[in-house]
Amino acid sequence: MTTPILMPQLGNEITEAEVTEWLKAEGDEVTEGDLIVVITTTKMSLEIEAPATGVLKSIDVPEGELAEVGATLATIGQP
Amino acid sequence: MPKEILVDPDTLFQPGELTFATVRLHAYATPFEDELAAYGADALKDILRHMLIIREFESMLGAFKATGAYREIPFNYKGPAHLSIGQEGAAVGAALGLEPDDHIFGSHRSHGEFIAKGLATIQKLDEAALEAIMQGHMGGSLRDDVAKFIGGEGKQLAENFLLFGLLAEIFMRANGFNGGMGGSMHAFFPPFGAYPNNAIVGASAGIATGAALRKKLRNEGGICVANAGDGSTGCGPVWEAMNFASMAQFSTLWTDARKGGLPVLFFFNNNFYAMGGQTIGETMGWDRLSRIGAAVNSASMHAETVDGSNPLAVADAVRRKRALLLDGQGPALLDVECYRSTGHSTTDANVYRSRDELKLWEKRDPILCFQGLLIEKGVMDEDEVAAMRERVVATIEAVTRAAVNPEAAPVVDVRSDPTLIGKLMFSNEEIPVPSTPAPLLQEVGKSAALRQLGRKARFGLNESGEPLSGMRAITLRDGLTEATLHHMLNDPSLIAYGEECREWGGAFGVYRGLSDILPYDRLFNSPISEAAIVATAVGYALEGGRALVELMYGDFIGRAGDEIFNQMAKWRSMSNGILKMPVVLRCSVGSKYGAQHSQDWTALIAHIPGLKVVYPATPYDAKGLLASALSSDDPVVFFESQRLYDTVEQFRAEGVPADYYRIPLGEPDVKRAGEDVTILTIGPSLYPALKAADEMQELHGLSAEIIDARSLVPFNYDKVIESVKKTGHLLIVSEASERGSFAMTLSSNMTRFAYEHLKAAPRVLGSPNWIVPGAEMESTYFPQAGDIIDIVTSDFYPARKANRRGIRDWDDIELARNSL
Repeated sequence: MTTPILMPQLGNEITEAEVTEWLKAEGDEVTEGDLIVVITTTKMSLEIEAPATGVLKSIDVPEGELAEVGATLATIGQP
Repeated sequence: MPKEILVDPDTLFQPGELTFATVRLHAYATPFEDELAAYGADALKDILRHMLIIREFESMLGAFKATGAYREIPFNYKGPAHLSIGQEGAAVGAALGLEPDDHIFGSHRSHGEFIAKGLATIQKLDEAALEAIMQGHMGGSLRDDVAKFIGGEGKQLAENFLLFGLLAEIFMRANGFNGGMGGSMHAFFPPFGAYPNNAIVGASAGIATGAALRKKLRNEGGICVANAGDGSTGCGPVWEAMNFASMAQFSTLWTDARKGGLPVLFFFNNNFYAMGGQTIGETMGWDRLSRIGAAVNSASMHAETVDGSNPLAVADAVRRKRALLLDGQGPALLDVECYRSTGHSTTDANVYRSRDELKLWEKRDPILCFQGLLIEKGVMDEDEVAAMRERVVATIEAVTRAAVNPEAAPVVDVRSDPTLIGKLMFSNEEIPVPSTPAPLLQEVGKSAALRQLGRKARFGLNESGEPLSGMRAITLRDGLTEATLHHMLNDPSLIAYGEECREWGGAFGVYRGLSDILPYDRLFNSPISEAAIVATAVGYALEGGRALVELMYGDFIGRAGDEIFNQMAKWRSMSNGILKMPVVLRCSVGSKYGAQHSQDWTALIAHIPGLKVVYPATPYDAKGLLASALSSDDPVVFFESQRLYDTVEQFRAEGVPADYYRIPLGEPDVKRAGEDVTILTIGPSLYPALKAADEMQELHGLSAEIIDARSLVPFNYDKVIESVKKTGHLLIVSEASERGSFAMTLSSNMTRFAYEHLKAAPRVLGSPNWIVPGAEMESTYFPQAGDIIDIVTSDFYPARKANRRGIRDWDDIELARNSL
């Protein structure tokens, strides 16, 4: 079973945001609630928590890239 | 909202009781013999002499006000005289406990404090230092006037210099300490540690707090004293200042080198009356003034009540508080009980107090008490005291004779230079491009939010002319960030603060990322205290720093009204150009949040002489103008439209330079050239004007020239006049309510300046004179493209008139009649 990390809706007028910094690398073990990625909108930066415990299987949006709200940024799977 | 400080309900919800640090009342009990041994007889005699000088000086002013003469010197003094007769023990005692590098900030009743601080400083400095101070003021001309018309050598000359400089200032003469621009209630002389007195009750509280912040950050020693009266404890800004000075973050969050509370002493000359209102028992809730310390912090502000009629008791308390402040335990509060034996001012008939009460206090007169003590203890005899009094009277008489003599103290000659005072309003000076690297928590590149700036396009339109999203191109917000960043990185004297300025990055994100790199002592969250935010910035600047402060919404200007209108705006000119005021006050102009969060109040600020006013509408202009504002030695109120924060650059094809640059304040900018009508816009009205121009070109064959005002004060009319020469028609558009707006000022002036070129009277299109409605109704309120087209086609080109587009089908004369 895998859990996607999605670009959150950061306000009803926000359509896209930047993946600014990955705090974990592919292959890292993550625990639900760990800070995993920093997202930046035009107005603020915020840290996103891991939605599940497991291993960071893939990072789909690299640092510095923009992604639309709802896009899959990374996937957490079982080891 | 620092994450390091946990708000833990389990800890908070424990039952218990609050306790308060004890506040001592009249605890002074040092035996006189110990004081005599510590001070020496001469110093004690000087305490009496200093009190006598203040008493005689103020009696002279009182005599002029009451009888038009003093010792047969006739003079019609027209200005104010808020005398402190009876309070000399407090002033002289405080000065005795201070050092030359301590700075006092006064009130309307501060002649005595000024003289006492000056005399104490003269006593402590050597003659060479005093000579250097006197030579350094006005190129030595005041010193030479004093030597010529009064005389004196060494310290006597310095005392005469102090008294004459003050009296000439009270008489508002050209060689008064402040060039006659300050007067009785605003006199000061920084080299003696006497910083501005203030005609606004309690205003020095916030200013002294800001000055103390500067002293703390400079690590240069010395404390600041806010002198105020008991009545000022009824003023909100005084409470705001005491809280600001007590912020816990100084101890919990600031780095070790900067830890500890602010070195500011709130010194309340408690004379029991706020004009005619009695503070104890009538107008205030406190029974003893010192009680209020307990409301501010757990140390009760080290508050104490002391006997203001005894200068030794006051000096003892001030010295102890000073030591606490220098140890980082500030702020402190002293309730100095004393009695004003004359009226609030010379028009006071004393109807609010009884003869019996006055008689009781006569026995507590600080001069009679101290003189009696010195005689009783054998330090002086009656003859010596009488001789001292005579010498004091002779000094004041000599100083007075000189001050009323127009040859010695010339009247400010405005007639021969009608804009003389105008030239004092601004320095119009800028600092060089800042280039002193400031210490950072980490490199700029470590901040995610700041790295994002480097990845964005510098121009906001794509190849087909469509605007890019604010995530992909530099926005107006980013322009502001970049200008701020350059100054914060390269000018360690600059600090920035306001509500939510740190982790939140400012309410609208202009400072996002800055808390990653800047320590607390450069960027911090302030309490929700608009008055203290601005007043402390003023004090910080008066003490030699530079401040960038933010009011979340321009609608909160009212909360800082005095601080903006009377303090930030006026100290440059009231100091005769001696003081600088490098303060930038950022105010956002809201939208969508209704009547109290959406108002363009630029006209209120522009109305006040002494403030520069800027309102950019594009990223390029925002960055360059903020850089100029931060470089200015004059105060700038910088407006930003919340609706434009995400706006990308659409005018300058080269984009917003990544490097530092400045755009001079006061230069409007032609955003689009045209032939048939000039549309001058203020702030966000630029964008509906552009839309209107497109439509008018397409539908009506009319070409509009659009000029963005960018600044309101200063304002160079040349470009607008040139444009009107070409078009013959002028429409000024702004989002401010029309009545009294700056657009009305521009319209009125342009009618005069370009009368012969105008084919019709200029028109102003603003918002109506009623409240800003909610988000969905805003298009019925703020000027829209259709409203612009309606005016141009109906007023200027009626032949091209089409169906009305906007909703403004009303009769302005009728509205005015109905208060609208």
